[in-house]
Amino acid sequence: MLSRVAERVYWLARYIERIENTARLTKVHAQLMFDLPKSVEMSWYGLVQITSNEDYFAERFGDERSEQNCMALLLTDRNNPASLMSSLWWARENIRTTRDILPREAWIHINELYLLTKQRQNDFNERKKRNALLSEIIRACQAFTGMLAGTMSQNETYHFLKLGMYIERADMTTRLIDEGGLYVSQQQFDNEEDTYFASILWAHLLRSISSYFMYRLQYQTEISGPEVLQFLTQDEHFARSVNYCLHEIQGVMSKLPNSGALQKQVQQLQNRVLSEKALSIGSDQLHDHLDWIQRELSELNSLLYNTWFNPKQVA
Amino acid sequence: MLKSLDNYPINGFYDEAIAHPQQPRPAAAQLLHQLEDTPFDSFQEMQQSAESAIAQLGISFTVYSDKGNIDRLWPFDVFPRTIAADEWQRITTGLKQRLKALNLFIEDVYNEQRIFKAGVMPLDVITSSKDYRPECHGMKLKHASWASICGSDLVRDGEGKIYVLEDNLRVPSGVSYMLENRAVMKQVMPEVFRDMNILPVDQYPLQLLSMLRSLCPQNCDDPEVVVLTPGIFNSAYYEHAYLAHEMGAELVEGSDLVVLEDNCVYMRNIDGLKQVDVIYRRIDDAFLDPEVFRADSTLGVPGLMRAWRAGNIAIANAPGCGVADDKVVYAYVPEMIRFYLNEEPLIDNVPTYLCDCEEDRQYVLQHLNELVVKPANESGGYGLLIGPRATPEELDTFYQLIEKDPRNYIAQPTLNLSTVPTVCQSTLEPRHVDLRPFILQGEKSYVTAGGLTRVALQKGSLVVNSSQGGGSKDTWIVVTEEKV
Repeated sequence: MLSRVAERVYWLARYIERIENTARLTKVHAQLMFDLPKSVEMSWYGLVQITSNEDYFAERFGDERSEQNCMALLLTDRNNPASLMSSLWWARENIRTTRDILPREAWIHINELYLLTKQRQNDFNERKKRNALLSEIIRACQAFTGMLAGTMSQNETYHFLKLGMYIERADMTTRLIDEGGLYVSQQQFDNEEDTYFASILWAHLLRSISSYFMYRLQYQTEISGPEVLQFLTQDEHFARSVNYCLHEIQGVMSKLPNSGALQKQVQQLQNRVLSEKALSIGSDQLHDHLDWIQRELSELNSLLYNTWFNPKQVA
Repeated sequence: MLKSLDNYPINGFYDEAIAHPQQPRPAAAQLLHQLEDTPFDSFQEMQQSAESAIAQLGISFTVYSDKGNIDRLWPFDVFPRTIAADEWQRITTGLKQRLKALNLFIEDVYNEQRIFKAGVMPLDVITSSKDYRPECHGMKLKHASWASICGSDLVRDGEGKIYVLEDNLRVPSGVSYMLENRAVMKQVMPEVFRDMNILPVDQYPLQLLSMLRSLCPQNCDDPEVVVLTPGIFNSAYYEHAYLAHEMGAELVEGSDLVVLEDNCVYMRNIDGLKQVDVIYRRIDDAFLDPEVFRADSTLGVPGLMRAWRAGNIAIANAPGCGVADDKVVYAYVPEMIRFYLNEEPLIDNVPTYLCDCEEDRQYVLQHLNELVVKPANESGGYGLLIGPRATPEELDTFYQLIEKDPRNYIAQPTLNLSTVPTVCQSTLEPRHVDLRPFILQGEKSYVTAGGLTRVALQKGSLVVNSSQGGGSKDTWIVVTEEKV
């Protein structure tokens, strides 16, 4: 497989996963706003922080941390390379340039999603319509991932798709946990009522990544922060837990050439994720831990580049 | 007979669908009969549904403009153009004959040069051609396949006679649109396909792959075939990706390939280098190899010509084959057919005046306002003069251009291109068309069933190039024999 093509396919999967997760993040945020008590301060700006877009936001909007600005930056801003529309545009561009190795439906599917989202961009400005559109986008991303899983040979192209998907997913899961932690840290959950709302928060968080039901099957007790954290970072079977993603990355890498050093790196990361004992929700330590995982994943990305994507190093 | 065509004007042009008012041509009869009660509104609906299918499938082409490259949706008209299968059979034979002679000619140019020694053609036509590549001298190719893929433009004159207007031998494009047009039409007019006997077109990618494999210089069982594209900004990128996809071949850019000291070509894969055997290149000669041609080319592969000359890689179309794409060379194709094949040409050339020839030039200069003047080495409909429509200033400009560089111009009578009913604002109107079939020549020869019909969407216009605002139609080769 061509290095250049492998890189484009890898990024294609990352963009799709990013689109899906950005949509999820935005949705869960809006849901939380409806359910949390007035005393809990919610700000749309949280989303900007979670997605590490603070600098760009300041440059673009200064202190105007309105819902409209936060949504524009996160969803529609084409100058923000990480916005949903930018990711969609790049996903489309990457399929357009790798159409020769992907099923034909892949291009049609993403091209359609792009045309539809572009046409309905104004829906992002209105909460009700926004949520409907985001749900549709999430569904389309899932259908896409499922379609590839159901129609592609488990070849190198597919390995790189999986690699991109799981790295992005692991990263986004840590950001989602951070999102939850952010609110907890801002509040004093000391009376009973607040504890109740904390569990609402965690329930929403779980729903945002379609993991509520799976969590329920695993833990029959009341939803608690530490258990959610454990579930989302260390669970062995749940498709979106960091541990599971790393396990899958490991498995895919073992099928790709020259991956010895990479596998070792992932193994170390995985060990550390598993060994982390209950960090308290909302603590700086948890935030730092999540941040560390994100940095490690980014480091992994550079290693991938040097191993497979940079033709000068390969040959 | 189709009611929507009741007031269809026949203005002295040859119409592909209708011979006289109320009388369809045999190849169109069944179509017009089936659509008999279709009101014009329905054609507009079909048109809209075709356009949304094109948007959904993302069928586009890139237009170069001052503001950068714009990806435009492929312009398409739903009213198909029909040609009778028996007529097509004759055309097919004629096209194969023509390409065979052209390939023998190119090999001759770079080897013995018999045709010039025999005095059939002057040598300086070649040496003055900008696509003549001395670097190709001494090369003999498998199956003498230099122009392995050729797109020849066919037109019909007022009497319905078919001529070859030009041969595109460098990097002819458009075949993916022929295939996509058919896919769209099957969505838009499914019933018609069920009831009519229309020859399928979709074997082309497989024929192309099998032709390319037959060029493999070594006798390997499973040659590595790649499609070489200049990249996503090229106007035909859509087609490059489409064909690579349909063939299951790798779509590569110049930077993906490398020529090592063993003079073999390799592609850069995630696990190292892999040897390539056949390159279907979609970039011009000039950019192919910066070691030999344009040194500033970043699209090509340094050392590619070395590898080719060493016989380690097949390139389709072969470097240097553009020498036969020249419109002055075109004028000699009938002579080539007689010279190399000892046969009479089955399809005629459009009568052509060579401005380089004193007698022809005088005629051309005196009749500029009746003729179409073309530069010898342009494609895409650029730099043309259409005499009858030109302003006095334009005529004057071309007068001077021809006098200054007669070798670079040819002239042809203005042809009354045939017309086909086309969905216009308020009714079906005749619009002028040409046809580009694609001919392959490797171990075997193959001609597409029909080709890409291009249509001038402007009323009265004869310019059909998509880069010049033309559109396209699906082309149906229709078997009309009575069923027994």
